[in-house]
Amino acid sequence: MSAKEKDRFLDEPEFELHPDYPLPDVDDPVMRPFWEGARQGKLLLQRDRRDGSVHWPPKPPYWKGGVLEWFEASGRGRIYSYVVAHEPFLPAFRHLLPLVLVLVELEEGPRLVGYMVGVKPEDVSFGMPVEVVFRRLTDRVVLPVWRPARGGSS
Amino acid sequence: MAIVGIGQLPFAKDIGRPISDTAVEAIQLALEDAGLEAEDVDGMCMFEMESTHEVTIARRLGVRNLRWWDKTSYGGGASCATIMHAAAAIAAGLATTVVCHRARNRGAKTARPWAQERGVVRDDKALHVPWGLVRPVDVIGLWAHRHMHLYGTRREHFGNVAIAARKHANRNPAAMMHGRPLDMETYLSARVVSYPLHLYDCCLETDGALACIVTSVERARDLRQKPVLVHSVAQASGPNPVHLANYNTPEMRMTSYYCARELWARSELRQKDIDCAQIYDAFTPLVVMGLEDYGFCARGEGGPFTEGGRIELGGDLPVLTSGGSLSEAYVHGFNLVLEAVRQIRGTSTAQVPNCKAVLVTGASGVATSAMIVRGD
Repeated sequence: MSAKEKDRFLDEPEFELHPDYPLPDVDDPVMRPFWEGARQGKLLLQRDRRDGSVHWPPKPPYWKGGVLEWFEASGRGRIYSYVVAHEPFLPAFRHLLPLVLVLVELEEGPRLVGYMVGVKPEDVSFGMPVEVVFRRLTDRVVLPVWRPARGGSS
Repeated sequence: MAIVGIGQLPFAKDIGRPISDTAVEAIQLALEDAGLEAEDVDGMCMFEMESTHEVTIARRLGVRNLRWWDKTSYGGGASCATIMHAAAAIAAGLATTVVCHRARNRGAKTARPWAQERGVVRDDKALHVPWGLVRPVDVIGLWAHRHMHLYGTRREHFGNVAIAARKHANRNPAAMMHGRPLDMETYLSARVVSYPLHLYDCCLETDGALACIVTSVERARDLRQKPVLVHSVAQASGPNPVHLANYNTPEMRMTSYYCARELWARSELRQKDIDCAQIYDAFTPLVVMGLEDYGFCARGEGGPFTEGGRIELGGDLPVLTSGGSLSEAYVHGFNLVLEAVRQIRGTSTAQVPNCKAVLVTGASGVATSAMIVRGD
C-alpha cells in the first residue's frame, strides 16, 4: 500500500470494537460493492451509464436491465447538516461522545450520513469542506467517516 | 366513513401488563363509547411494530368472526393510515365495523427500539446505524439543524411548540405532564441530547393503549355519539424513500410534504377551514416543519408561525390540544387521532370553540399518513 493509500485509513492500532457494535451486512447483494470499495479505501457510488446521473442509496445490479455502474467518487463534499450527540447513547459508540453526526453532500450530489473525526464539535460548521477517511472495524467491515478537508477545498 | 367510538387506558410509565391485554380493554371502552358490542366488530387494523395477534385480541374481546384485518408499518407513520385502511375496507364492503388500535409499552428505558440495535444490521438500517445515527433525535436533529441554518429558525420557535403542548397538557388530567408547567427559561436551559435539540424538544416515553371504532356514516348516525366524519385520508412515502435516514429526496423534502399534497388533493376543505391541528410531535421541529409542509405557511416560515400564542388555544391554529406526544403521551401519535375526535365532538379539555375540522398527521421522516376529520 502506497503512502497516499495508507493515508486514507485512520491509524488506530489500539482500536477495539465493542461486542455490541451494530455492524452492516457487507454481503448484502445490493450493497456489497460499496463495502468492498471501502475495504480498499475507496468510496464507491452508482451512476447511470446512459446519462451519468448518480444514485444513492444503491439499487440492485439488475435495475432497469443493468444500466447502473459503480465508480469511485471523489470522496469530497460539504457538511449539509450536523448534530452533536450526547448521552444516552449506544454503548458501542459511547467512547466517541460528544459525537458529531453529519450529513455530507458529496461533490457528486448524494447526501451520505456519517460522523466526523479529527475535529472538535465547536469547529464544525455548515458548508465545511470534508473528505472521506476509512475506519477499519473488523477484517471485513471498513466504515467511511469524515474529516475536515486537507489542502484544496472541494 | 365515521369514527364512532374512542377508548383509552390511563397512560403510565409502567402499565404493568402486556399489550395483548391493554389493547383488549381499550377496545372494549371504545365499543362502550360507541354503543356497540364486540359481536358487531368484523375488522381490525393495528400497528406493525411490537405486534400482537389480531386473533388473540379478537378472541379475548369476543369477536364472532374477523373478516378483514391489516397491520400498518412505519411506527408513527401508521397512525392515520389505520383509519384510512379501515375506511377503505368498509367502502369496499369487506367489513362493516373496524377497530383501529394502538397499544404500546415503551415507558421503560430498555424498551426503546434504538437502544436494542446490535449485531448485524441490514437493508435500510445498514445505511445509517453503523455510523451511530440510530436515535430518532439525531435523525430528526439533522433536519432541524438544517432548517435553523437555512431559515433562521431559533430554539425559541421549537420552545413555542413545547410550551403550547405543555399548556394544553395542563388542562388535560389524562396527560402525563399534567400539573408540570414549562416556561421558556426552563426549556432553553434543559440538557442537550443532540445539539441543537435538548430535553424538552423530545417526546415522552409512555405505556398506553388506545382504540377507536370506524363504521359507515349511515350507521354512525344511529349510534350513541355524534359522528366524526373521515373527510380526507392519505399515505405517502415520497420519492427515493429510505426508512428513517431519508435525506435524498429532491430539496430534501420530508415525507409530510408528499403526504400533504395527496391529502389536500382529496379534500374539499382547505387550510383556512382547519380549526386545530394535531401535528405529529415526536420532536418539536416536526411541528414547525409540519406547519410548512401541510401548507399553513411557506417553507421556512414555520418558526415565526409559532410566535405570539398563535399555536395555543385561542390562537389562529391551536396545535396538540391534548398535549401531544410531547406532553400527553407518546403512543406513536394515536392519541392525536383520539384528540381530533374529541375536538369535533366538543369534549376536549382544550376545546376549540365551534370546532368543525381537524388535521391529524403521522410521523414525518418515515413513510407517513394524515387525515382530516370533520363534523357531520
